[in-house]
Amino acid sequence: MSIRHRLGVVLAFTVMLLAILGPLLTGDPTAQPDPVGGRLLAPSTAHWLGTDAFSRDVLSRLAHGARLSLLIAAIAMTTAGSIGVLFGVVAGGVRGLFGWTTSRAIDIALALPRIVVLLVVVAALGQITPVELGLVLGLTGWPSIARLVRGEALRLREETHVTAAVALGAPPARVIAREILPGTLPPALVAATLGVADVVLLEAGLGFLGIGVSPQLPTWGSMILQAQRHLAEAPWLLLAPGVALVVATAAATLLGDALRSRLAPGSR
Amino acid sequence: MTTPLVEVRDLVKHYRPAGWFNRNAPSIRAVEGVSLEVAPGETLGLVGESGSGKSTVGRAVLRLEVPTGGTIRFEGRDLADLSPAELRATRRRMQVIFQDPFGSLNPRRTIGASIAEGIEIHGLAPAAEIPARVDALLEEVGLDRNYRHRYPHEFSGGQQQRIGIARALAVEPAFIVCDEPVSALDVSIQAQVLNLLLDLRERHGLAYLFIAHDLAIVRRIADRVAVMYLGTIVETGPARTVISDPRHPYTRALVSAVPHPDPDRQGDRIVLEGEPPSPSAPPPGCPFAPRCFHSQRDRRCDQERPLLRMVEDRQVACHHEG
Repeated sequence: MSIRHRLGVVLAFTVMLLAILGPLLTGDPTAQPDPVGGRLLAPSTAHWLGTDAFSRDVLSRLAHGARLSLLIAAIAMTTAGSIGVLFGVVAGGVRGLFGWTTSRAIDIALALPRIVVLLVVVAALGQITPVELGLVLGLTGWPSIARLVRGEALRLREETHVTAAVALGAPPARVIAREILPGTLPPALVAATLGVADVVLLEAGLGFLGIGVSPQLPTWGSMILQAQRHLAEAPWLLLAPGVALVVATAAATLLGDALRSRLAPGSR
Repeated sequence: MTTPLVEVRDLVKHYRPAGWFNRNAPSIRAVEGVSLEVAPGETLGLVGESGSGKSTVGRAVLRLEVPTGGTIRFEGRDLADLSPAELRATRRRMQVIFQDPFGSLNPRRTIGASIAEGIEIHGLAPAAEIPARVDALLEEVGLDRNYRHRYPHEFSGGQQQRIGIARALAVEPAFIVCDEPVSALDVSIQAQVLNLLLDLRERHGLAYLFIAHDLAIVRRIADRVAVMYLGTIVETGPARTVISDPRHPYTRALVSAVPHPDPDRQGDRIVLEGEPPSPSAPPPGCPFAPRCFHSQRDRRCDQERPLLRMVEDRQVACHHEG
């Protein structure tokens, strides 16, 4: 395992630790102990990352935000990954009308601009729970994975070991399940892991725009939205969720890369 | 002659160029009316240069390609008449060994799983007995039974080819298409794999369609040989006599290119001029006419396609032989 990959694992572990243990060790992220005297406090021993405009503890909000972000990302990428692999393998592996139709469905889904669809759907639904947001992000994120998997499946379909399986008398479903599908999973898993970075950023973007989950919930996006109003007086408000975003995104990217090299036997 | 195991009649395979922009481009005429037979236990060598259509014939015989025309009978049954399920069942009797030993194995499965694939598909053994079967197959092809849990990339090319042979053998076929099975291997390994194929033929009474571009190899393994040029068979007959005394000019050129162990007995090398014509625009007459050096070559060669005619112990497609 290379240094980059180790770093990815360490970063991912850090973010997960923050998401799992952080909320247990820090206080209530919505508590406003002193809305008059305790607002916009600089980092100190009492508040490691300072307080925000409502005197809420930034570290506590960051930790709860990590939990929310990871929950949303996990739901989104599981949804997008499953649908994407299913559509992609059918589009690339199945010959005839069924495969062709699936392929065109992917093309149509790809042609829809994700951010516009997201804005419309989230605006139409109004305020939604994090789980619902995860599902919506997943349902808009699958086409890119499907495209990748379709390409992989089309390439694999021409490989000699697929012909060998056909020549052995394997029925089409078995050929797809044994010879084509397994080969598409590593790139799909890598894409889904990289997609976590996208989803974390998208969720932050939606939070920044003030739509999606309730602004009361401490998401990184809503933290950044609120921080920008006090950028001059309290830059740590922006720094904390900003750095967390970068770390989480880098962790997902490096982890995806590490997975890629682990999942390809004989490729190195 | 005994009933043929494989009987190919007037096989034609044209490929339409892919893509919307090529819809008016001419088809590629890979195979233009090939007929051949393979008897049980017999080896037919199919020889020709790259692009002669020999691999396409091999794939069509196994119905891995749907032919454009002609019929292929296996054990008396026309493969085109079989339902998909019947065809899959028939595949147990006819197998294939590929040129690319690594590419023919799934890199994500252990070689044991690959070898067991056919046994599982056709339910040839209860699950509990499969590991023992795989071990026996590994030993039969000269590999250690402990290799079962390893992955293809852990093996050398020759070993990978042995694994491919074990996989084909697992379903107890009567007929195997060997599509240039040794041409990707080192010369020293070629002989070993060739000997293995000879042993297995002996032991299991296998029939081979042995596709190769190397006449020296075909001479070792084939009973009969068919020489292909530009999608047609130009000469076919007993391997020994066709190779020692070729009649068709193209076969003569091929034979002259085979190095002889004794340099004094090496005949003059016939070097063909030019390239084979494009299979999308074959010449109207004899496909070999544009490169032919036959002393009696005339206008008829350019206008009329010669058919295979009996000449002594073989068939030759030349207006001026026989």
